Amino acid sequence: MKLLIIKLCFVASFFTSGCSSVEPWERGNLAKPEMQISGDAVDDLLLEQVFYSKEAASGGIGAAGGGCGCN
Amino acid sequence: MKKINPLVALTGAALALPAIAADQPTSAKLSFLSSTYHEKDIKNSTILSGAGKRYDIEKNQFRLVTPLGENWSGDLYVSQEAMSGASPWGTFDGADDESSLIMSGATIRDKRTQVNLSGRKYNEDSSYGFTLTRSKEDDYSAKGFGVSGEWDLNNKLSTVSAGFSFSDDEIKPVDALKFGRIEKGKKQTRSFAAGWTQIINQNSILFTGISHTVKQGLLSDPYKLRDTRPSKKAEWTLSFKYRQYFENRNAALHADYRLYNDDFGVTSHTAGIAWKKSIGDKLKIAPRFRYYSQSEADFYAFGDNYSLAKTEAQSSDHRLSGFGSTTTGVQISYELGKWSMKMSFDRYSSKNSLGHAESEKEHPALLDFTLWSAGFDLEI
Repeated sequence: MKLLIIKLCFVASFFTSGCSSVEPWERGNLAKPEMQISGDAVDDLLLEQVFYSKEAASGGIGAAGGGCGCN
Repeated sequence: MKKINPLVALTGAALALPAIAADQPTSAKLSFLSSTYHEKDIKNSTILSGAGKRYDIEKNQFRLVTPLGENWSGDLYVSQEAMSGASPWGTFDGADDESSLIMSGATIRDKRTQVNLSGRKYNEDSSYGFTLTRSKEDDYSAKGFGVSGEWDLNNKLSTVSAGFSFSDDEIKPVDALKFGRIEKGKKQTRSFAAGWTQIINQNSILFTGISHTVKQGLLSDPYKLRDTRPSKKAEWTLSFKYRQYFENRNAALHADYRLYNDDFGVTSHTAGIAWKKSIGDKLKIAPRFRYYSQSEADFYAFGDNYSLAKTEAQSSDHRLSGFGSTTTGVQISYELGKWSMKMSFDRYSSKNSLGHAESEKEHPALLDFTLWSAGFDLEI
C-alpha cells in the first residue's frame, strides 16, 4: 500500500510538472476565493470533526484540529 | 474617492501573491459559525437494552485572523460544543437479525472546548507556520502542536508544502469503577504531511498530498463492553484536490479524492465534489456531495465475543465495519459590505450496501444525521 501511494505521487507529479506557463497577470481567476485549495477554514474544521467521529479514516484533509474523544 | 474595479484589484492581488500558497492577510477577519447536529434515532426493534435517542450537538466556532506587522499573521480559533444522547456499548450476534444493540442510557452529556493558536511568517517565496492546540472535555483532554512550511517554485507555478503535528491525549472515563472501565488512558499522535500544488493553466490547479500518521497508546474505546484494539496504528493517505474555474458560468468546480489505508486493515475511498457558483457580486451558492466507503478492520466482529481473552483484539464498533456513506449539502453566502452572511445544510446517510467492501451483516448503529450551520465573516 505504501509503495502504491508513493508511486501514485510520482505519477501525479510527473503529469503536473509539464504544465504550461501561466504568467502572473493571467492568474486572476486562480486568486478568487472559490478557487482556493483550502476552503472556508471554519466550515472545514466542522466537517472534518464530524466525519472523524463517524468513520475510520481521517487525515489528508488539510485543516488542523485538536484531538477529541469522539473516535 | 476613486472607485477600484474589483477585477483589477483581484488581478493586482494575484500578482503580489504566491500562486496558490498561503498569503499574508491584508486585513483582519472575524468569523463565527453556529451549528446544530442531529443524529437520527435508532429503531427500537434493534435495541436489546439502553436508549435509542442518539446524539444532538450544539456547536459554536469563532475565528480571528489578523496580519501582524509586515510579515506575520496570527490566527485564533475557539470552538465550544455541548452534546447529549446515547451511544452504542456493544452488540449481541444472535440468530435473529433484530435486537442486537446494547446502548448506553440517554443521559450522556458532555461539553468540549477547543482552542487553536497559530502564527505564520511570510517571505517572498516561502512561509512558515506553527499551531498550538488545546482541547478539553469532561473526560478527555488533548494538547498538541504543529509546524509547517510552504515553498514556491518554478516562477510560483508550483508550491511544495510539508508539515508535522503532534498531539498528546488523555482520557479518564466517567464511572470507571462502577462499570469496570480503565481509569486513565493516554494516546499520542504523530502526523507528517507533504503536498505539491501545481497551476495547470489559467483556470485550473491541482493539489497532490500524502500524509502518514502514527497513533500510540489507548486506541480502544473504554466505554464499550468489550473493545480491544492494538496499541499502535499507522495510517497513510494520498489526496488529490482539483479546482477548475468556468469563466462563462462564473463558477468553480471542486473535485477531491482521498485514498486511506491503515494497519488495522481499513482501506477507504473518499470523493467529494462541489460547484461554487457566484450569482451577481454578492450571492454565492455551493451545492456539494461527498461519497465515502471503507472496508472493515481485521479484528472487527458484528457481535462481541466474551469467550476471547481481553487481550485479544476485537471490536464491534460500527465505525470499524465495512460500509459507505453519502453526504449531500449546500452552502449559501451573501455579502453585505464588510459582512458575509453564510448558512449551510448537510445530510449524511450511511449504509452497509454503499461500501465497496461491505461487512457481512449491516451494523444497526450505522447512522444518519443532519447538520445546520449559520454564521458570518466580518472584515475588520
